Amino acid sequence: MQGDTDMDMHLQEQVAFRLTGQAAGSGLRTVEAVGLRPALLANYRDLTRLRYDFPLVLVRNGPDEHCVRSLSGIIDAVLQEVAPRGPEGERLRKQVLRLEREIRAQTAKGVAGPLSALWDKAARRLVAASDEPLEDNLDRARAALKVEGKLLDCNASTPSRFLIHAWTRCQQTKARRMLGEIGALIVKLSDILRANTIGSEEGRSAESLRAAVGTAHGEVFDFDVMSRLLARVSAGSSLPLSRLRRIQWALSVLKSQRFFRPDSQRAPGGGEEPYAFVFENCTGALDAFRERLPRMIELIKAISVAELEIEGRYSEARHDAFFEAFYERALGPNDLNLFPDYLVCLGGESANATEDARLWELLSSGLPAKILVQTDDILEESTVGEGHFAFGARSARLAGMALGLQQVYVLQSSSSNLLQAGERILRGLRYAGPALFSIYSGAAGSAGDLPPYLNAAAAMQSRAFPAFSYDPSAGLDWASRFSLEQNPQVDRDWTAAGLVYEDESHQRVAENVTFTFVDFVACDPRYARHFAKVARDAWNESMVPVAECLGGAPQTAADKVPYLLMADCNDVLQRVIVDDRLILAADRCRERWRMLQEFGGIRNSHAERLLAREKKAWEEQRQRELESLKSESQVAPAIPAAAAAPVAPVISPTQAESVQEEKSSDEPYIETPRCTSCDECTQINNRMFAYDANKQAYIADLGAGTYRQLVEAAESCQVSIIHPGKPRNPNEAGLDELLQRAEPFL
Amino acid sequence: MTICGTECLLRVYEEHPDLEDYQGGVPRWCTGCGDNAVLAAVQRLCRDEALRPEKTVFVSGIGCSSRFPHYMKTYGFHGIHGRALPVAEGIKLARPDLHVFVNTGDGDCCSIGAAHWVHAIRYNMNMTVLLHDNEIYGLTKMQASPTSPQGLKSNTTPRGAYLQPLNPLTVTLGVQNASFVAQAVDWIPEVLYDIISAAFHHKGFSFVRIMQRCPEWLPKHFEPWVRDPQKTLLLTHEQGLRLSPALAKVYRNQETHDPADLDRAREIASTLDPIPVGILYRNPNVPCYEDLRHAGQLRTAELIKTGLEAEFDKFTIWPHEETPETERAA
Repeated sequence: MQGDTDMDMHLQEQVAFRLTGQAAGSGLRTVEAVGLRPALLANYRDLTRLRYDFPLVLVRNGPDEHCVRSLSGIIDAVLQEVAPRGPEGERLRKQVLRLEREIRAQTAKGVAGPLSALWDKAARRLVAASDEPLEDNLDRARAALKVEGKLLDCNASTPSRFLIHAWTRCQQTKARRMLGEIGALIVKLSDILRANTIGSEEGRSAESLRAAVGTAHGEVFDFDVMSRLLARVSAGSSLPLSRLRRIQWALSVLKSQRFFRPDSQRAPGGGEEPYAFVFENCTGALDAFRERLPRMIELIKAISVAELEIEGRYSEARHDAFFEAFYERALGPNDLNLFPDYLVCLGGESANATEDARLWELLSSGLPAKILVQTDDILEESTVGEGHFAFGARSARLAGMALGLQQVYVLQSSSSNLLQAGERILRGLRYAGPALFSIYSGAAGSAGDLPPYLNAAAAMQSRAFPAFSYDPSAGLDWASRFSLEQNPQVDRDWTAAGLVYEDESHQRVAENVTFTFVDFVACDPRYARHFAKVARDAWNESMVPVAECLGGAPQTAADKVPYLLMADCNDVLQRVIVDDRLILAADRCRERWRMLQEFGGIRNSHAERLLAREKKAWEEQRQRELESLKSESQVAPAIPAAAAAPVAPVISPTQAESVQEEKSSDEPYIETPRCTSCDECTQINNRMFAYDANKQAYIADLGAGTYRQLVEAAESCQVSIIHPGKPRNPNEAGLDELLQRAEPFL
Repeated sequence: MTICGTECLLRVYEEHPDLEDYQGGVPRWCTGCGDNAVLAAVQRLCRDEALRPEKTVFVSGIGCSSRFPHYMKTYGFHGIHGRALPVAEGIKLARPDLHVFVNTGDGDCCSIGAAHWVHAIRYNMNMTVLLHDNEIYGLTKMQASPTSPQGLKSNTTPRGAYLQPLNPLTVTLGVQNASFVAQAVDWIPEVLYDIISAAFHHKGFSFVRIMQRCPEWLPKHFEPWVRDPQKTLLLTHEQGLRLSPALAKVYRNQETHDPADLDRAREIASTLDPIPVGILYRNPNVPCYEDLRHAGQLRTAELIKTGLEAEFDKFTIWPHEETPETERAA
């Protein structure tokens, strides 16, 4: 009896907490500073013991597609190459994996540097600390390591370093291509000028000729005589002055451009410094773009002119006017895409109203700007007042808002997913237009002892910061452009994972646990007041997992108390109850996720309604058919169904038999399409027979020749396509004989 | 063109040439010669594709058909006997931007130039090769050629040719890297044009054997095939030749043949009567030699200098044992 009363009291306390957020009574304790974390994350206390995506390697060499790889992936590739099957290979594999763990631990401690340096350092440590001979095996693996680049752990600088690296690689590829093209144009234009100089009077002067031969054999020739001799030979016409000027102008623009610089080189000829394209804010990027625009147009014009000149297709009458009026609007997105993109790295918190406006200006301008918005905290408190959640209302919602601009490539992802999103990030960097990358770093430090990687992963797992991408170049509709694929268990509201633990009686229990937005918030000590730990003796039947309380009106489950499973620092499972405000916030999160699902074609309400309507119509139709069949079988049960099926009347298709215009055999004619252009008929009379535009014969003028010629042509035609018809002049000589000869060709 | 605007600009002012714009002189071929049909078809192609004469080159060897470049108002190279293909390959390597056509005859290609032919197939460089095959040496007045049928009496085979003729189609299809093989006849101009056009659009070594009448030396040789449409087997396919309704009515002997099917192509190639006409084989995925070798490299002053130095080094006598390698090592 006493127990029942206690239970009621506990339940009352818990319901009161749920409704008011006030923890009062003996069974409840606030969770602040007790080091609880969601049960599903309990296993990941030490990330350095885990083989996972991080650290990443920002690869310097190799194709752009693989410009970022995970350390584990690289090690696996090395092992595949050097570790044979069998015990020997197994030993090597273990040793190299120990090395990998060592590198990972070093990186986690903040040791930076290129992979090769960290590898060597870690190898030395291992060798020094180990009794077994490691050196040979590690050396073999080291020799197979073909990849070089800096290591990148998951922390606050990850998004920007990742993006700057990928962007740099893309720009290098672009620059190499354009420098190649510009270089080729310079060489070819110079060739034209050189040819012009060689042919000119100056080029044929004794001095030029002497310089051309060089010093070694200079004595052998008499250059004055040579010059006089050459002067007598016609040198052909030299370039018109306007063309010469045009070529010189294009050449000077191409040589002095500042947009592309060869790798690790200054502009040729020690010209001005090349432009920089990485900016810290949108204002800077926009101003730089505006300032450089005239130079950019000039360069495009010069490339255009150069290409036309080299091809010999520049026509002053046609092209002068065009190039005079050549200005900004002549540039298409593909032209802009030839130039380096403007990279802007923004921290979400630094945004102010002006910068916000500039951001939207830049995004909607269609300029090739690639903007990174990094968000460190998506659980910042609302400015409205306590208890009002405004989770990530600012920078974290940017990506969703940018979808409305249609022509912007949008990618949202958390840091933990960067490796998987790598291909999409590259696609965005290559997209000929603006791109927005919204990335959650998880490194605000507000998540207690949870490392940034786990925090970022939890944000994605809990739908607090889902990953999506929108690629306007992928097609015309949402189905081709929008993708949610990278999220775990994308078809469901919340993700779920198996949790295995030991119960009080030391039995193994396996349970499927849902990871919701509430679990994500539970990682953040700032919101600890919305949670209360329930002492084990106060657990009761009314407590239900949070996921079961989500999605319904709170009143419907008035006597239910939602709880989370959390693990304390000793890895003991605890139940933590949640207040209603957080449940409401989780519901809002789920709605946002549902909206994204609809964009992605998952449980799309339009499609579902349509499907329901069609299904209903189909069922009704089927019902009617069944009924009509039933009634028919009652009327005439003797007729088998097959025989009752209506027989389609056999209509002979009205063949579109091309009614060949029957030529009267009186009229002479040629089957022109079959003519082999062999000249037989035109040799006989080239006024009577002529070739058409396809060089095939027809009768051009019947009056220009005689019937005899017609018959002779018919006889000599190799493919017998000339039909002489009947003679027009009844008085022509030898007509009887001719008619006889013409007989086979009528 | 790198810049979109330039491309549009050129398209706006695109010139629409006439067939006459490609005619260079009156052909000296005999009246009634099948070469005329090939010339007309090629000139039509040039006109329809608006090929720029300065971007087009015709290369030939020796023989009646090899006079072809003279009659085209484009670049041309009337080369030496059997060597049309190596010359064309050189042109393509140096100037990959040019459209290269090769005109060769049954003697030029299948006899003296046979080795070049086999290797040109293997190199698979992007060019259109037209084998004008009249099965006789016409220019030198009637001697048997490798493709002359057994028993053909000629000045060199007064008792009739002893050997079975060489089949250019099966030979080509037997060489590794063959990528386009077709057969046409000069007396069906519409199909001749379509096949040459398909050959031109194929990227790779497009080999077209054209059966061609020689009215001077073998006036009746192809007569049965010219007269009887049933003796021509037209190969049609969605991806290959498509006939006009009018032609399909006359040439009813048709077979649907997928040009991707190499085995069936080889079977068809072996058929002598009826004559198969159409695209026997096409594989757009065979790499071109000029692409493998990155042809058309820009000739900068440095590149020319390095190349010349390397060539001169081959003929330099180095004092003592000093070779370029040891010097470099030093």
